[in-house]
Amino acid sequence: MTKFLKNLVYVRGTKEGLVLQFDDQCAYVDLLSELKAKVSDPALDGSAEVQLHLGYRYCTEAQYKEIVATIQNNSHLRVSKMRSEVISVEESNKRIQERQSETYVGIVRSGQVVKAEGDLVVVGDVNPNGKVVAGGNIYVLGRLKGIAHAGANGNREAVIAASWLEATHLMIDDLIETMTDELTVLSEQPEMECAYLHSNGQNIVIDRLQELRFIRPQISTFKGGS
Amino acid sequence: MGEAIVITSGKGGVGKTTTTANLGTALALQGKKVCLIDTDIGLRNLDVILGLENRIIYDLVDVLEGRCKVHQALVKDKRFDDMLYLLPAAQTVDKNAINPEQMKELVTELKKDYDFVIIDCPAGIEQGYKNAVAGADRAIVVTTPEISAVRDADRIIGLLELEENIEPPKLIINRIRQHLMKAGEALDINEITTHLSIDLLGIVADDESVISSSNRGEPVVMDPANRAAMGYRNIARRLLGESVPLMTMDKQSTGVFSKIKAIFAK
Ligand SMILES: Nc1ncnc2c1ncn2[C@@H]1O[C@H](COP(=O)(O)OP(=O)(O)OP(=O)(O)O)[C@@H](O)[C@H]1O
Ligand SMILES: [Mg+2]
Repeated sequence: MTKFLKNLVYVRGTKEGLVLQFDDQCAYVDLLSELKAKVSDPALDGSAEVQLHLGYRYCTEAQYKEIVATIQNNSHLRVSKMRSEVISVEESNKRIQERQSETYVGIVRSGQVVKAEGDLVVVGDVNPNGKVVAGGNIYVLGRLKGIAHAGANGNREAVIAASWLEATHLMIDDLIETMTDELTVLSEQPEMECAYLHSNGQNIVIDRLQELRFIRPQISTFKGGS
Repeated sequence: MGEAIVITSGKGGVGKTTTTANLGTALALQGKKVCLIDTDIGLRNLDVILGLENRIIYDLVDVLEGRCKVHQALVKDKRFDDMLYLLPAAQTVDKNAINPEQMKELVTELKKDYDFVIIDCPAGIEQGYKNAVAGADRAIVVTTPEISAVRDADRIIGLLELEENIEPPKLIINRIRQHLMKAGEALDINEITTHLSIDLLGIVADDESVISSSNRGEPVVMDPANRAAMGYRNIARRLLGESVPLMTMDKQSTGVFSKIKAIFAK
């Protein structure tokens, strides 16, 4: 019996491009060897982006890397996306934490750092050289005059909102913006503002707080109402 | 049982030692028994400002290391009949010669005999600061109307707020020059207290006689007519629980009367 008859890897063409759908019940080694055989097929010689659908198979980080390497070393395909129906308990807990919101009541003073895994609400000022860091969004009910770092674990959708936004440094994910004169002039009215990553992925921009519900509609989790 | 107050600032040269000497003297003049401790080991000068330099025999480190009894090291200021004493800092060793536990023990001991134990803290946030705050029940943060001093005050307030045994710190703004504040060249009192969001204990004018009187070894507060002296006397009265309105630096009201709540009123 040849490996091909098992058909553990389906190749499908969809609107969004090529998809490799993996069988999620077979042994990992079998999957990998069939994958290697399939992508090495000379019929697949064009260079294209490909998505992987893992189904209910849980792959470790190392296995995932091995799969990607198998594809990219044996063909001109490039893996653009990976979809899986399962995550580990650890990952799940992390996601729950990131959705939670923590509240700090008080002044974040020079030299102090206040951190949260998820969203962070500060009821009080953040003074110069004081720092607030959050995996999610940062909301300051007071004057933000120090340093704020939102989306610190890689969430580029995160925002920083403050009653008074006069921060010296704003960071979202790994981007940093120092409040130069130019930016300060642009936001001549620091009251009720928010900062977010521009869709160009390069700049942090500041806007009126009223715009937030259009810029990041997903932040609002409130359902219903009248 | 008296209480211990540490005078601190973060930044150097803003007037901690001057404040310690003048508050101590003002409290002694009000009939309180006061002991001042200079914890600025290696850079002592509280003794000089009080004019007691020549009478020092033992110092703080001698006491903590058991070379003498506390009462042997205390220098009495003869001008205030038995009301004002100084425990001088050592000049020859460094700040690491003592530790916070020793200080706490000493201050607790002194509180039994004195109404106020006032501790002059060295600049910085390292060992010297830790020693100085160890035995304190309250803290006074001194700043001047300069951004750098206010930044450091903010840092120190943050550290003091982490100390479980110390009440929320109070603020003194020293070296106020009215013409600079008016011209917007110096931070104004409201701006500083709002930024630091702690209670204002008092303000002290910048006055040349502070320097000349320190050089003579006579704290300025002894001169009843001086404006800086008035600031220190008002602070002393507030420490004693009186509610004294904030003095105006000139004829116009500065509008900060309301800032002074029933400070230190229990
Ligand atoms: N209100 C004032 N008006 C004028 N001069 C003042 C005033 N307060 C303090 N000074 C002067 O400022 C200088 C520094 O004061 P002082 O020694 O009290 O500061 P310090 O905070 O104890 O300094 P250090 O950090 O070195 O211990 C001294 O020369 C003092 O005379
Ligand atoms: Mg000093």
